[in-house]
Amino acid sequence: MTHVRPLANKLVPAAAALAAALVLAGCTPGTTTSDASGDAGTPVTGGTLVYASGDAEPSCLDPHVGGNYPQALVASQYLETLYTKDADGTLIPWLAKDSTVSEDGLTRTVTIREGISFTDGTTLDAAAVKANFEHLLNPDTASSTGYLALGKIDSMQAVDANTLELKLKSPDNSLLESFSMPWVAIESPTALKRSQAENCAAPVGTGPFKVESWKKQDAVNLVRNTEYVLPDPKAGHAGAAYLDAITWRFIPEAATRYAALQAGEVQLIDNAQPDAIAAAEKNTAIKHLDAPRPGASNRVELNSSKAPFNDAKVREAFVHAVNVNASIDSLFFGTAKRSYSPLSSVEPLAHSEESLFGYDPAKAGQLLDAAGWSERDSAGYRVKDGARLSLTFPVSTSQSIPAEQSLFEQMQATAKESGIEIKIKLLDLSSWYGELFTNNYNLVSAPYTKVGPGVLSILFHSDSTIPAPSGYFANLSQVKDPSLDVLLDTAGSTKDQAERKNLYAQAQQKVLEGYYLLPLYNQQNHFLYSEKLKNVGTTTAVASPTFFGTWLSN
Amino acid sequence: MSTSTATATPTRSPGFPWSTVRWLLGKLGGGIFVLWAVATAIFFGIRMIPGDPAEAIMGGPGSQASAEALAAARAQYGLDQPLYVQYFGQLWRLATGDMGTSYALKTPVAEVLGELIPPTLILAVLALLVAWAMALLLAVLSTRSGGLGTALGSGLEIVSAAVPHFWLASVLILVFSTMLGWLPPVSTNTPAGLVLPVITLALPLAGFLGQVMRDTMLEAQRSAFALSARARGESEVGVLLRHSLRHAALPAIALSGWAFGSLLSGAVVVESIFARPGLGRSLLAAVTSRDIPMVTGVALLSAAAYVVIMAGSELAERIADPRIGPS
Repeated sequence: MTHVRPLANKLVPAAAALAAALVLAGCTPGTTTSDASGDAGTPVTGGTLVYASGDAEPSCLDPHVGGNYPQALVASQYLETLYTKDADGTLIPWLAKDSTVSEDGLTRTVTIREGISFTDGTTLDAAAVKANFEHLLNPDTASSTGYLALGKIDSMQAVDANTLELKLKSPDNSLLESFSMPWVAIESPTALKRSQAENCAAPVGTGPFKVESWKKQDAVNLVRNTEYVLPDPKAGHAGAAYLDAITWRFIPEAATRYAALQAGEVQLIDNAQPDAIAAAEKNTAIKHLDAPRPGASNRVELNSSKAPFNDAKVREAFVHAVNVNASIDSLFFGTAKRSYSPLSSVEPLAHSEESLFGYDPAKAGQLLDAAGWSERDSAGYRVKDGARLSLTFPVSTSQSIPAEQSLFEQMQATAKESGIEIKIKLLDLSSWYGELFTNNYNLVSAPYTKVGPGVLSILFHSDSTIPAPSGYFANLSQVKDPSLDVLLDTAGSTKDQAERKNLYAQAQQKVLEGYYLLPLYNQQNHFLYSEKLKNVGTTTAVASPTFFGTWLSN
Repeated sequence: MSTSTATATPTRSPGFPWSTVRWLLGKLGGGIFVLWAVATAIFFGIRMIPGDPAEAIMGGPGSQASAEALAAARAQYGLDQPLYVQYFGQLWRLATGDMGTSYALKTPVAEVLGELIPPTLILAVLALLVAWAMALLLAVLSTRSGGLGTALGSGLEIVSAAVPHFWLASVLILVFSTMLGWLPPVSTNTPAGLVLPVITLALPLAGFLGQVMRDTMLEAQRSAFALSARARGESEVGVLLRHSLRHAALPAIALSGWAFGSLLSGAVVVESIFARPGLGRSLLAAVTSRDIPMVTGVALLSAAAYVVIMAGSELAERIADPRIGPS
């Protein structure tokens, strides 16, 4: 459980033990942690959990439509997925009972669990799952994340009531990981037949809660699904959830959110900022859940498509010129741990290479001298052929939290000592996209959440440098390396797990050694909650918490 | 102002008030011009920001839309049409009262505005009343207690007028929620939840109003009618309440139209910090997500409110003071 590490640094031992237990219990849906976590006590039925989200209010409560993280957070309460991940990060069947793939990798057969119904009374069966996939693949649904995840499906057929057969365009060994994402969650086919507006307002699933009402800009009101059936009986208690209801509020201001938690107005907040987490450590009434997101680590990408980063020596010099570790320690109060991998530490196939990323200004200087950047101008910056060694760094203020923005400023300061100028541009999201589309950047930091190492293909395959009509492309370091493409393609289609692991490790080593990116830390996903709330820590495959086994003590 | 209406009416000549009709038509024309200008500025202004509105439709930050889905979204919302077609189409829809469907909320804009007007209106009206009460109190106290009081009152007014909403809200939450635990930091539907947002909006406004009122009041206290009232044996308190205060209220009433507008802009900050549903918070969310119909709707509504309030106060002045305009 690598994601215990960020906590262990500064927490007092008791809190660390508790947190470790919580995270160990972490990924198993519905697992009761009362024996191990110190949450000792008998579960209490009743009460309403008030959840305060700092994310933008979703435009649609159906995560098929669009498909972003705020939708995943709330939808995990009322929708369930075919697959999910257990505490060890192992993929386990959930609404699906089992799945097999043909020898050529082109036919995937999924068996659906029996005896489960949606909250509108519709039965879960193969036809229902088929209707969901069709909904996701229909352009009118306007799915982005889920649509990409199912992109390899060519056709599908319900062979019998509980068996769905999928024909694939090419082998896809990430499909089951894709099935574990809330953006591909299974909804009632009867409810999906309604208009999109109706379905967005109250999607119908099989989860432990159901949507009762949604007052925009105020709250989504969820109530207990009294008929809930836990798909895997080993995963938790029998019967319905302990909580009567969940009020899902939107409180955009981080300080207000924390104040509301302290005042007892809400019992759990997401997007907890480093300063609040550090303050909460001294407060016994407030507990901390660190649930790093899967997919890519947070990283700075070095645009290799143009000068000066088209020179690998300059990329290497930059990486040694910035002092990242000292800044992370001081700015994140020990709540974030340095990463040396393109993948999140919760990804079992993440590969790290710490030795490449030491802070070494002397080495940076030698590399830059050798690359021809040996002269300095009056401001102390290096120049070559009359041009200053200057890097443009557009930063999205909505994607980079204040602590991360400060980290970039400190990188700017340490780079200056080596004669490298970094020009940080703080931008709103639309303007930030605009800079990327016009290739007007040398450095950039963009999060990417997806379950499984398949995210590497999205971020580093040369196909991903081709912009979508929107102008967006995910390969922001603009690596175009045919041998890397082959590694990623083979890794994504092989049936041999050991080979898959080996190939993905090679691919990661290649992008790390090429200095296409500077890994920073896991994509941060911190929650703070009242100690009255017991048995928190159970999350889905994308680290969104679920509250089936959670109760409010008196 | 209503009291002066009663005294003004008898002096007016009877007959149909053509000048007022002309004035009203002029105001109406001006109002329509303002609304057109706002709609046009928003339409082109929001397109100057780089990026693709179709991405906002597809869920904005965190979702990487596929090519097909983006194309479908563009076609569905007419974003693939030439700009002039979109512009005139937009004007025609607005002229016929159709404000469109919010990209982000997927609900008709008119419906969303209908839900959001009451909470913002309650907040703004309460803040205006509280600001008035605070301003009066400040003005009276500072005029009553001599030079030191005046200096102190004036200092307080300047400080409160200069305090930014954002800072004030944070301090109020820190003191009254976190430290004292008296009031909730988020605005719930209870009266207690309204206290901090209302005070945050009212305090800076009270500073402005107080300054204006105190100056007029000091002037009135020294004026001839105050002297004659004292000569008739009126007490100092009586002079203050019956004469000076009424005199001082006039410029403050005139300022209230402007004040109401400033409250709407203050609502953007206050509603976001206290997590209160309302027009201001939705405007902020709409601008960040490039939700063009929603931004246009809120802007037009604010512009219309401004036009109506300004025209209303002018109309009141016309009725109150027959010297304005030819008759």
